[in-house]
Amino acid sequence: MLCMAVSASAAFAQSLENTAHARQIDQLALEQLKQIGQNRRPGIDDYAFCRRVYLDAIGRIPTIDELDSFIADQQPEKRARLVDKLLNSKGYSSHWHNYWADLLRVKYVGDKLHHPGNYSEWIKESLRGNKPYDQMAHELINASGELYKPGNGATGFYAREPMPLDHLANSVKTFLGLSIECAQCHDHPFDDWTQKDFYKLAAFSSKTHLRVDPTPTVEKKTYARDRKILKNKDFDEWIVYRESIRVKHAAIYGNGTGFMRLPHDYQYDDGEPFEAMEADVLFGDMPKVNHKLTKAELDALKNHHFGPEINARQSLADWMTSPDNPMFTKSIVNRMWHQVMGAELAGPLGALTQEEMGDHPALTQKLIEIMKALDYDLKAFLSVLFNSRTYQSKALALNADAPKYILDGPIVRRLSAEAIVDSFLSLKTETPDRYVATEFKWDGFTNFYEKSQKMGVKDFVSYSINGPGRGAFQKREEKAAKRRNGATGPEHLWRVSSYGHVDGNHEVAMLMGKSDRDLIDGANKEPDIPQILFLMNGDLEHEITTQPKAFIHRKLDSVSDPAKRMEIIWKAILSRLPKESEKPLFSNDQDDLIWALLNSNEFKFVR
Amino acid sequence: MSLPFLNAASAAAQAPKARSVINIFLSGGLSQYDSFNMEVDKAVIAKSRIIKSNADGVRVSHYFPTLAQQMDKLLVINSMKSNQGAHPAGIYKMMTSYNPRSSITHPELGAWINKRMTTERDSLPNFVSIGKGSAGTAGFFPGQWAALPVKNTSAGIDFVKRNAAVDEGKFKKRLGILDSLNGDFDQDYGTKDTKAYVDTYKGSLKFMNSKDIDAFDLEKENEHIVSLYDRQEFSRSCMLAGRLVERGVRFVKVELGGWDYHDDLYGRLPSNASKLDKGLSSLLTHLSQKGLLDSTLVVVSTEFGRKPGVNPNKGRDHHPDGFTCLMAGAGVKAGQIYGSTTKDGQSAADNVLDVTDFNATIAWSLGIDPAYEEMSASGRPFKLANKGEAREALFA
Repeated sequence: MLCMAVSASAAFAQSLENTAHARQIDQLALEQLKQIGQNRRPGIDDYAFCRRVYLDAIGRIPTIDELDSFIADQQPEKRARLVDKLLNSKGYSSHWHNYWADLLRVKYVGDKLHHPGNYSEWIKESLRGNKPYDQMAHELINASGELYKPGNGATGFYAREPMPLDHLANSVKTFLGLSIECAQCHDHPFDDWTQKDFYKLAAFSSKTHLRVDPTPTVEKKTYARDRKILKNKDFDEWIVYRESIRVKHAAIYGNGTGFMRLPHDYQYDDGEPFEAMEADVLFGDMPKVNHKLTKAELDALKNHHFGPEINARQSLADWMTSPDNPMFTKSIVNRMWHQVMGAELAGPLGALTQEEMGDHPALTQKLIEIMKALDYDLKAFLSVLFNSRTYQSKALALNADAPKYILDGPIVRRLSAEAIVDSFLSLKTETPDRYVATEFKWDGFTNFYEKSQKMGVKDFVSYSINGPGRGAFQKREEKAAKRRNGATGPEHLWRVSSYGHVDGNHEVAMLMGKSDRDLIDGANKEPDIPQILFLMNGDLEHEITTQPKAFIHRKLDSVSDPAKRMEIIWKAILSRLPKESEKPLFSNDQDDLIWALLNSNEFKFVR
Repeated sequence: MSLPFLNAASAAAQAPKARSVINIFLSGGLSQYDSFNMEVDKAVIAKSRIIKSNADGVRVSHYFPTLAQQMDKLLVINSMKSNQGAHPAGIYKMMTSYNPRSSITHPELGAWINKRMTTERDSLPNFVSIGKGSAGTAGFFPGQWAALPVKNTSAGIDFVKRNAAVDEGKFKKRLGILDSLNGDFDQDYGTKDTKAYVDTYKGSLKFMNSKDIDAFDLEKENEHIVSLYDRQEFSRSCMLAGRLVERGVRFVKVELGGWDYHDDLYGRLPSNASKLDKGLSSLLTHLSQKGLLDSTLVVVSTEFGRKPGVNPNKGRDHHPDGFTCLMAGAGVKAGQIYGSTTKDGQSAADNVLDVTDFNATIAWSLGIDPAYEEMSASGRPFKLANKGEAREALFA
């Protein structure tokens, strides 16, 4: 009882703090508007707020029941309460799992046998526990050890890239919002970064690498003999032997020596090819690195020597994720603002600069302070944004005649691919969040990893000869892992986030522009012909438009008054009442109206 | 902003050899020593038997008896070389001319050609990909330049027809309501993005109603042409490619996978080889009879070849140094062999042709400068064929 009272009052204090932060944002926006003589945008009604916050917090439109119950709510602070409810719902994990899995590029990469299940589990666990963002980033940058060990999924981030320098460029883009990849091969053409800067930064994590096979010593001592026998006996058995051993041994090795060598073709005057570079940061304070060699000592050694491992990678993680690193917080604040408001706060997501603070530097600064004050609690930060009057303003269509200041509220933009597809669910069923990613485990390799801890060489050989065979090996482990979930419901009622990695992507979501997770920020929101053909002539016809069992039709069945029926169609699909000017449309057939509303721009865009 | 054909460094100031390209892509890695490279030591050929073809000095394996009678139309390139030895990377390299990187995705050759050659007048897309497998990605180009996928020839393009229960009148009514809703929404919330949707709906309707849409419908093909092909899906795909080229489509990719025989090569190769043997032969006849072979470059490519030695599992492993591709039509030196491997089959020897040069040659045949450049979103310049150079010697 006491405990509940304490946590309730803590939650109350937190929400007071969030409200205070929200007011600070509004105040800054107001001051800016006043200064340039621009009118404040009108606020939005409860219908528009409900649709918008469902989309931004949990990634789908509200069901008609959810909308009705919010509209009917007569108690005070109903918007703040809805925000709270959504941020603590299953839909939140589903929506933000999509976000993080895209940014961190969780993907099955076949040829090196990376299985993303454990990596994905790590993201799910982070979301379930609302792990602070700085801690997430630190764990990802500094991860090492076995890929499929339970709880060690953060290693998936390093394993995602075959090449260490590419990985560094992607880490810097992901967490600092900087685009330094040009400097990998030559001095950056329009930014300050030189190739030498890049190599000095790379020195922190030098010699970190993914190794899928056992180390040479273990291989020689344990596996080599049978590997040879199997290879000469049966190809499929040999493959299963190789791959099952990899599940046990695949790991990130190395934690950084603090030294890197310039490339063999280094072309500038400030260094020689193969010259040793001591670790250094791009800007800000240099974290402590305990070098065991001097640069001169290393230069005296042969070209392939990088010095002993000294855990310099941890220093890189410390530097990157520190509140004192000006890019770290600016980048995440810029990302969250873009996600929720649609505009760039401080600049393009992956191409910020150190000096640039965006169109309203004071606002950017304030948001950075708020993020730090909230200790990188992303749910709390989102709550601040959602509770601001700024967020609850009429959406702006960004056109040539747009006003000067656009950070005073959201802009009109297309829904994400997943949000479009998940919004179909709100029309199919009254419980669209029943099957979400964070409740399922797709961790077949972790499953096998645990088994493999007790497996010696004889067991691997026997598994290869008597096991499920080459093609079935991965599938069997996947299936076993899925069975551990218990009942997972029918796939057509899953949120997009629940689709497995090895099974392939959600085809309709891909058609709508879902990221294929090859690149950071790889999603797109453009129309193309196959996408439109699907929307006009595809499966929606029998899944929603004319499907008597779909939730929208069951709602319609219970009402006979024609005007009320029209209200149901408009509220279910567009989350609002029909306008007076739309009443002439009522004479159309019900399925034609549902089709047209589903195909309308209003359905596909956040307003 | 670059204007077509106005690049200063226009090495391609030549009349195009080809109007269209059909690229038959054999994913998995065709064994050159069991198909078209018979110019090596007998031991390398292993269990394949060498047979004569209708072109002097060109020999093929006995798995290709029908094509053997069409080799006078084909140029055999035995000196292909790639720097990638794993499937995804090898396919990526062959399709895009670039090594895969994790900071960018490059457009496939078909997307470059689509973007470069499409005009207002074209009612069909200029990049079509037939078959399962790699989709035909636009890389850093806007999505509109990606391939239009046709997963199988009997289904045609997904959702291009109205739902069965929706007749034309009903469909028109629906579109009428949609127009009215969108017009209303546009008043308050219209942007270039909402307009792009309205335009793409228009484009999709134009496509649905286009006279040319029946290009995708093999039921509409002339009986005489249909009789040239058997009923296998790959043959049907070749027929569709021929039909599309006849309607002016610039680049058609047809994928035939399954060539990755690490084991039991001689048990598993024959059925796949037979598909290629028949489908490609029929396509060459089809194009010849229609008078299209002179203006169509037909390419048979694969991501890499197989090793000269047969492994203990009676298969061949990956081998990117010295593999074989074919070309036909558009004035290539048909009935000849270009380049060679060493006699032991270990590596490309004479007239080595890197995959980037191969792609450059295809672009050049269409009259496009292989060094044609586009900027990625972050302002990095990329050339169509990377550092590849067109090999004009492949053409008569």
